[in-house]
Amino acid sequence: MLFSYLLVSGITTGALYALIALGIVIVNKASGVINFAHGELLMVAGFVAWTLHVGLQLPYGVALLGTVAIGFAVGVLTDRIAFRPLANADLVSLVLATVGLSFILKGTARLIWGGKADYLSFPPLTQAEPILLGPLMIIPQQLVVTAGALAVMIAFAAFFRLTTAGKMMQATADNAKAAKLVGIRTDRVYMMAFAVGSLIAAAAAVLMAPLTLLYPDMGFLLFVKGFAAAVVGGLTSLPGAVLGGILVGVVESLAGGYIHSSAMEVAPFLVIMAVLIVRPTGLLDFAKVRRV
Amino acid sequence: MLAVQHLKVAYGPTEVLRDVSFDVPEGKIVALLGGNGSGKTTVLNALTGLVRPRAGSVRLKGEECAGKRPDEIIRAGIAQVPQGRDVWPSMTVAENLELGAVTRRDRAAIAEDLEAVYDLFPQLREKRKRRAGSLSGGEQQMVAIGRALMTRPRCLLMDEPSAGLAPAVVGDMVDAVLELNRRNLTILIVEQNVGVAAAVAEYAHVLQNGEIAVSGPADGLLDDPAVLRSYLGR
Ligand SMILES: Nc1ncnc2c1ncn2[C@@H]1O[C@H](COP(=O)(O)OP(=O)(O)O)[C@@H](O)[C@H]1O
Ligand SMILES: [Mg+2]
Repeated sequence: MLFSYLLVSGITTGALYALIALGIVIVNKASGVINFAHGELLMVAGFVAWTLHVGLQLPYGVALLGTVAIGFAVGVLTDRIAFRPLANADLVSLVLATVGLSFILKGTARLIWGGKADYLSFPPLTQAEPILLGPLMIIPQQLVVTAGALAVMIAFAAFFRLTTAGKMMQATADNAKAAKLVGIRTDRVYMMAFAVGSLIAAAAAVLMAPLTLLYPDMGFLLFVKGFAAAVVGGLTSLPGAVLGGILVGVVESLAGGYIHSSAMEVAPFLVIMAVLIVRPTGLLDFAKVRRV
Repeated sequence: MLAVQHLKVAYGPTEVLRDVSFDVPEGKIVALLGGNGSGKTTVLNALTGLVRPRAGSVRLKGEECAGKRPDEIIRAGIAQVPQGRDVWPSMTVAENLELGAVTRRDRAAIAEDLEAVYDLFPQLREKRKRRAGSLSGGEQQMVAIGRALMTRPRCLLMDEPSAGLAPAVVGDMVDAVLELNRRNLTILIVEQNVGVAAAVAEYAHVLQNGEIAVSGPADGLLDDPAVLRSYLGR
């Protein structure tokens, strides 16, 4: 019983880590940059969702759509303000810009939503009783969150596979010079990648909000989990990010249940180490595996 | 068709093209030759806007292209098949070709052009659902050419299309270039393989020390042992 409970809740948090990892991977694929502000984008989106849902009393679904739209806009803005001016700078400057951005977002959140020690709580999605499915105990709220995460992943995959914008992003990630040579505005593609990454962070935040407390410093820990998942998946593979997220979530949950709650903090690093020892380029980074 | 005048390109302090001028007449195939590192790729990249020229002019049918963005130049009608092909390996052949038309809105004409590419390279039609990265070098070259054709260029720039191809396939490549020219496409081709250049080009320009050192009809030029020896290291 304990195992199945830990497994199911591990999959739920894992699905959320997978979303965080997807956002990190999409930015990295397009631009080569690890966005260290990704966790803060998520944190800000959590507060925005809180304002819409708790503050303005909008229904959860509306708050979700609104937050996702705002997340997209924040992504576009930060690209314009923080990254576009650095278009010809080296990678290190870009990464430092993301670190700077993370501080700015954190400061802004403190200004708007309160002091350092303020924790805001989000109402639960549903009060429904746990369902027993044979040996599995399913908590309805976890089911809703997992389904929501899955829906976001499917929409995301469809965007990449089916839309011209998605294909332009894929082409730019594959070979940016060739993308320029057919007339793709790669500067816009980078902006798009950043905005879509931020949008996904927002979706993850709204899904996660009912399961956790919101506070301005929550971003970094979430970034670490998502980054671990992304590294495990190979840093440029979208399916790898999903797999990595679930793996990190489940290992963390099992470690918390069987060892000690403090073990949850180290779980992501153990997963990274274990995977990198077996497959130094990550689980699903086919391109790099072949190149070696 | 294409008039290049006093083109100057530098990477930081190193000036690679000092003063390059040449013409590509409409409907012709013109070869641009030169030793390794003489700046041939740089010329093509300046013509397509991948690098910004320091000075000079590039006119396509009178329209100034120097200093414009690649997407503007592509809309004006110049396309480049890059050295080393640079297909998008994780995408299918069909996706590679379709994205070639990303600047266009004329759906019916795009569909026609796609058919024309498949007619020119029937192997690509068979393999259109395959990932481009899984194709042979010759097939990837076809994808790269087809993708450039999908921009519907008036002038096609080809950077060493025969490099790295099996000798048996080089002949096919020559035939494809000649066929494109027969369909009225103006072509500027960069080649290390003097045999390929001689087989397709009507005129040739030889680049050395950042300038066009010799020019002339390809026949005379590429048969001249003195030219081969002093400029092309043969
Ligand atoms: N992006 C770049 N940055 C700095 N130098 C470059 C760059 N591209 C080419 N070069 C230099 O410019 C010269 C010409 O290169 P290139 O145009 O590729 O010659 P080619 O195509 O004739 O072999 C070479 O010396 C090369 O090292
Ligand atoms: Mg070259």
